[in-house]
Amino acid sequence: MTTGTVIAICGAALCATLAGIGSACGVQLGGKAAAGVVAENPNMFGKLLVLQALPGTQGIYGFLTAIIIIVRMGLLGGTPVEVSVAQGWALFGAAMPIGIVGLLSAIYQGKTAVASIHMTAKQPDSSAKGITMTAMVETYAILALLVSILLVFGIQL
Amino acid sequence: MIVPMKKAILFALKSDRDSLLMALQQCGEMMIIPAQNAGEPFGKDQVEQEVQRVKGMLGVIKRYQGKQSLFAVRPEVDYAQFLTENPQTKQLEQEVENIASQLSSQQTQEAALRSQMEQYAPWLLLDIPVDQLRPTKYAVFHTGYGATSALQAIEAAAQENGAHVQVLGSGSEGQAILLTCHRDYEDAMMDAVKAQGFTPAALPNVDGLISDAYKSCEEKLSEISKSEETLIQRLSELAKRKQELEMLYDQYKVKSERMSVSFTETQETFYLEGWVRSDRMDKVQKAVAKVTDAYDLTFYDPQEGENPPTVTKNNRFISQFETITDMFSRPEPGGIDPNPVMGPWYWIIFGLMMGDAGYGLMMLVLIGAFIKLKKPRGEFGKLVNVLFLSSFTTILWGVLFGSYFGETWHPILFVPLDNPVQMLVFCLVIGVLHIFSGMILKMYDDIRQGHFWDAIFDQLSWMVLITGLGLLFLPATQKAGAVMAIAGAVVILFTAGRSNKNIFGKMTGGLLGLYNITSYMSDILSYSRILALSLATGVVGMVMNLLAGMVQGSIIGFILSLLIYIVGHVFNLAMGLLSAYVHDSRLQYIEFFNKFYDGGGTPFVPLSINTEHVDVVSSPAEK
Repeated sequence: MTTGTVIAICGAALCATLAGIGSACGVQLGGKAAAGVVAENPNMFGKLLVLQALPGTQGIYGFLTAIIIIVRMGLLGGTPVEVSVAQGWALFGAAMPIGIVGLLSAIYQGKTAVASIHMTAKQPDSSAKGITMTAMVETYAILALLVSILLVFGIQL
Repeated sequence: MIVPMKKAILFALKSDRDSLLMALQQCGEMMIIPAQNAGEPFGKDQVEQEVQRVKGMLGVIKRYQGKQSLFAVRPEVDYAQFLTENPQTKQLEQEVENIASQLSSQQTQEAALRSQMEQYAPWLLLDIPVDQLRPTKYAVFHTGYGATSALQAIEAAAQENGAHVQVLGSGSEGQAILLTCHRDYEDAMMDAVKAQGFTPAALPNVDGLISDAYKSCEEKLSEISKSEETLIQRLSELAKRKQELEMLYDQYKVKSERMSVSFTETQETFYLEGWVRSDRMDKVQKAVAKVTDAYDLTFYDPQEGENPPTVTKNNRFISQFETITDMFSRPEPGGIDPNPVMGPWYWIIFGLMMGDAGYGLMMLVLIGAFIKLKKPRGEFGKLVNVLFLSSFTTILWGVLFGSYFGETWHPILFVPLDNPVQMLVFCLVIGVLHIFSGMILKMYDDIRQGHFWDAIFDQLSWMVLITGLGLLFLPATQKAGAVMAIAGAVVILFTAGRSNKNIFGKMTGGLLGLYNITSYMSDILSYSRILALSLATGVVGMVMNLLAGMVQGSIIGFILSLLIYIVGHVFNLAMGLLSAYVHDSRLQYIEFFNKFYDGGGTPFVPLSINTEHVDVVSSPAEK
């Protein structure tokens, strides 16, 4: 195994880890608020579940980027590709946008989800507005994911 | 399109009031405008109380019902039958209420007994009746608690002062202790034990032995739990008749809605205002005419300052997508209905975001079965239909991109995963077309209102500029693109500030207008989320296949891989659906609607038979 491979693996692991931690935090925030509302009004479960699940996507984006890096390096079945140190650092860097933005945006999205859950508790009809507001935060995670994916595919191996 | 509304004004005799209201409710086409400064409707409170009571009883019964069939169908009830209240159901409600109140009183008793028993528990070993534990000529008794850790010290202190120590059971306050000593040493002994942590406490107030009292409590408790059991058994028997109770609830609810209508009235007549769809006026007319001849019903166009509700009428396909717009905001009565344009876009973009034929097929089957079995209705039903319809575009795009459960097979266009840049350009082009269609709607609205030049300066100029910028990227059309971009920009530069009064304002207005290019760019780039989401669905599906492929090899591995396939793909489908729903809606609300649509309409809620548990069908005779 070359040093380049190790650096690239660190990048893949880090982006899945950071985005995963962010999503866990975000979903946890939303879940606590939703549980409080459902205790009062069990019929709201379906509406609030959607809001709670929204910060969960960053974790999937991080996971996705990690898998693409692993597949590109040929670590999952097939012959592993020789990765130079420069290529390793390039893959590491490519993984960072979704790792870092995923971590922070999921937490902030979780906080927005909490606010939207409280709004939905007071006005059940406005859940779609709450979903839209919460989804606005995710835009930046999606942009980061795009940059990560395009970079990972763009690096010559 | 938006259906024009008419204001209906009805005069009739008070004696016909109830039957007229019932007829209007059955026809379900009139949204009643609450009368101003009318008193509280008569009898409304009583019915509302009934509604709350039955609701409470339904809540009680639901706790004791057995397992419910997942595929339960809502019962259909004939209208005539719906109007008659079944006396047996009322008895049922009464019985449930009795049992519920008995149960709750028993629960309080039970709690009281349990707390008593907790008090007794530490003293169970005391073999002297409480009333006999009085000071004698020479001896005195003291009872109290000490912490378990301080027990030895207390014992030693007491014995030093010549007392007899009997340690009894333990309770929440510590170890129960009985001290017996000679009257002469009492004060010294008490000081010594208190110093060691002994807290004096009186015995529970009972006659005779504490253990006897404890036993009688236990007996009472078992009696209560036995009778509780019979009550609960009776309740779970009654729970089988839940449907009757549900119907009673619906009956009361419909009645209470009818009774809450407020009127302006005179001695003999009353006056009622309401909104009616202009294409359903005859229905209301007929419903009223069926009840009485003594009425006056006139329809007026809405006046200036009046705010009629909005009803949109579209074909069956488009009308399903109305729920997406309604969740944002309904169109205003005089505005344009965005649904005929928004619906198809939502449909196409949803399919692009999912972009997998296998998942499309799963949606088709699963959601189709759900619709068939559960028959969802109302706004939720429309949303389910939207998802169902979107399964077709999902399959279509899946086939075009050759994606089947994350695997690639004979793509017709190209494979997004291998050509992400091509896919990105494709998504942005879709975005530009989407935004342009919104701007064309705005132009239509401007021209309709007589602002022809606004349409040209504020919309067309931007469309020319954006198209020109796009053409710059293709070598063949570079020149044409440059000309278009410059022409568009010049028009914007000279016209964006036209509403400002002085020349300076006009100039800065033009420059600021041109600066809007950033907002158009960010709107268009926002469509890159289509690429991200379609890649996410495809790649997660691919990973599931990879994982399942790795465990195959033996029979157990094969079974395990089946499990991974099923769980993995269902999970991916669920997350994909959530993301596609949310982000497709967002593209409509933020990027598309902000070009032309404000909403601000109010919903049309006619007085109707609005039930929760049963479906009311009109009797065959009336059809």
